[in-house]
Amino acid sequence: MSKNTALLFGFNKYVEEIVKNVQDEYAQVKIFSLNKEDMDHPEYEIEYFDLSDDWHNTDTDKDIDIKNSIAFCVLEDTAENIFLTISLRAHYEELPIIAIASHKENANKLLMAGANKVIPLVETTADIITNMLESPISNTILHDILYEKSDLKIAQIEIGENSHFKDEELSSIDWSHYHGIIVLSVMHKDMSSEFIYSSKAKRHIIQEGDVLVVVGYETDIVDFETKIGSERYVNWSHWSW
Amino acid sequence: MLKRLIVDAAYNLQTSKSYQARKQFFKNILDNNKYKYKKYLDLFMVILIFISVAVLIREVKHPVHDYMFFFNSYVISIIFLIEYLLRFWIHSSVSEIIVQRAEHDSFLSRDINLYKAFKKVIQVKLSYIFSITAIIDLLAIMPFFHELRLLRLFILFRVFKLFRYANSFQTLASVLATKKFEFFTLAIFASIVIFVSSVLIYVMEANNPDSPIDTLFEAIYWSIVTISTVGYGDMIPVTFEGRVVALIVITSGIAVLAFTTSLVVSAFTEKLDEIREIKTIENITKLKKFYLVCGYEDVAQDVVKKLAKNDNEIIIMDEDINRVEQAKRDGFRALNYDPGKVESYKKLHINIDKQVKAVLCLCENDVENVYAALTIRSFNKNVFILSLLMENSNRKKLKFAGINKIVYPQELVGLITKELIGQPVAFEIIHELRSEKSNVNITEIVVTQRIVENFATVGELGNKNFRVVLLGIYKKDKEQFYFNPLETTFISNGDFLLVIGYKVFIKEFEQHLHTKVNRV
Repeated sequence: MSKNTALLFGFNKYVEEIVKNVQDEYAQVKIFSLNKEDMDHPEYEIEYFDLSDDWHNTDTDKDIDIKNSIAFCVLEDTAENIFLTISLRAHYEELPIIAIASHKENANKLLMAGANKVIPLVETTADIITNMLESPISNTILHDILYEKSDLKIAQIEIGENSHFKDEELSSIDWSHYHGIIVLSVMHKDMSSEFIYSSKAKRHIIQEGDVLVVVGYETDIVDFETKIGSERYVNWSHWSW
Repeated sequence: MLKRLIVDAAYNLQTSKSYQARKQFFKNILDNNKYKYKKYLDLFMVILIFISVAVLIREVKHPVHDYMFFFNSYVISIIFLIEYLLRFWIHSSVSEIIVQRAEHDSFLSRDINLYKAFKKVIQVKLSYIFSITAIIDLLAIMPFFHELRLLRLFILFRVFKLFRYANSFQTLASVLATKKFEFFTLAIFASIVIFVSSVLIYVMEANNPDSPIDTLFEAIYWSIVTISTVGYGDMIPVTFEGRVVALIVITSGIAVLAFTTSLVVSAFTEKLDEIREIKTIENITKLKKFYLVCGYEDVAQDVVKKLAKNDNEIIIMDEDINRVEQAKRDGFRALNYDPGKVESYKKLHINIDKQVKAVLCLCENDVENVYAALTIRSFNKNVFILSLLMENSNRKKLKFAGINKIVYPQELVGLITKELIGQPVAFEIIHELRSEKSNVNITEIVVTQRIVENFATVGELGNKNFRVVLLGIYKKDKEQFYFNPLETTFISNGDFLLVIGYKVFIKEFEQHLHTKVNRV
């Protein structure tokens, strides 16, 4: 399920960075600011919005295909950002919302307000600094996987109806037959995820709809998909911290 | 000719590495509180002092064994004599004074005047001999002449030597020294009161046959006992006039006591922060490895807490006293020093190359971070510096300041957002692996020679038995990561195994790697 419009609420340094990184992913990137003066910005096309309910009934709102959109709540004032998130959720139940919070405390409030994903700035920055210092190698490897600097990928593969793993016990499968692939975890239909060596996963019988999380090179992942008769899968609703 | 010989000998000593190294060693072990072995010498000397005093006490009513007497009178005295002579030696450098005089005279094209040099040598050495601590040291050697019974009492001077070896005494002395003027005033006041009251009580009581106060000494004794509020009651005034004097002395006594108490308390209160700071610096100097964090704002607070969880030692420096107090409340070592001043680092008495793992400039202000980084780079080129960047336009300035790693939170948000929407699965998994709260973690295990001797190849590691996934091997020499290596892959000393699993199983696996015995 891919989205084609990114709605960015707020105009600041964070939004500029987000635009830089996501503009290639979406057909349309719309920026909304609470400040009317931002509308004259020479570089970006910025629209005005306010936090009242009236805004949702304006022409701008009607132009947006909400079903194919994703919202980023990036207002600098935490209270306003929470209010914006709750307003968006109240009006659009299905709209995926990513919000930015200064601290974990505010992140919890944003989640309660209906955000699907919250990035707590201080904690995230601190995590990255700590990882850089304490686990420099794993940090580099994971960073390269994440930011596509390496050919290694992490993929999610759904067990299809015709997969020959169906109805097999997870622990009975010899994964070494699939060179180049490491299976990290299995995600059940109810979205609960289990590490491959957990005691629950050990006894798990693979069913249709289960999702395997694998690490490997792109070619090996494709090869693996072909061999087991399943395909890659992306589910937005898995989002949760 | 003799002059030439003396000057040559002085130059030789000044340039002799072994002589200077020996002298430095004795300087450190005798005088440098930060020298790690000094405490052992201090402890040894304190034990000798207590043995001496114990022998003296025992001797009062019981016979002492000859060997104990010998040990006390000769062995301990000789050790103290050696210590005294070493201190006399290291106090000042004779050769240095001669060389300085020779260079001074040569520069002015004069004949070398050794007379002036020796005069200076005698001056500096006498200044040592007549210093209070040296006099105590010398008197502590006196019991060596034990045949002179009176000199045995000099053994008590050995107790005074404790001042040298116990830092607390030195701290106490330095604290009280800050109130020199107040104590002097108090002493004058107390002396006047004692003098006047002694004379008065003597005049009033001495001629009264019923009064126990007959002499001036008894009058002074009574005054001191009364003014100190001790009041033994062995001597009491019997005349009306004498009792009036007693009333005045008692009242003055309360004032003297209150004044003394308040002086000591206020001296300690004023110096308490300084004493704590000195203690903190002493502890920092002893640390083997630590992170030096400049600034204690939001990000720094979180980083410090996470680093502390991994048993890292952390020192925080911030010029804002409120943030320093906050850091102390959070249980960290924090100093109210400006990270932008070289003096701040000098005060710490640390070897940055050996002791500091990394310097983290985490002020949420680029100016302060650049300033702190440049300050550190001005005296150390090697230490790893990581800094926060708040405005992207300042990135070059941070690089120019010699910062090794820059973390720009805004950029992180952009990248995270991109991955969140582009690779949600990878993002989730990686976030989970990195998070401390998660049970499943990624860990780096360093391959030691012992591990290599026990496990030659990947297949022998047996990670699956410990429910641990081996993601790959990082070969440090080749700076390359080998993902999912074949079982036949050889592992070598210095490699890193990247493993994923439950913390408890990873720990067990690590123990297994380190403890497996050599195969026959």
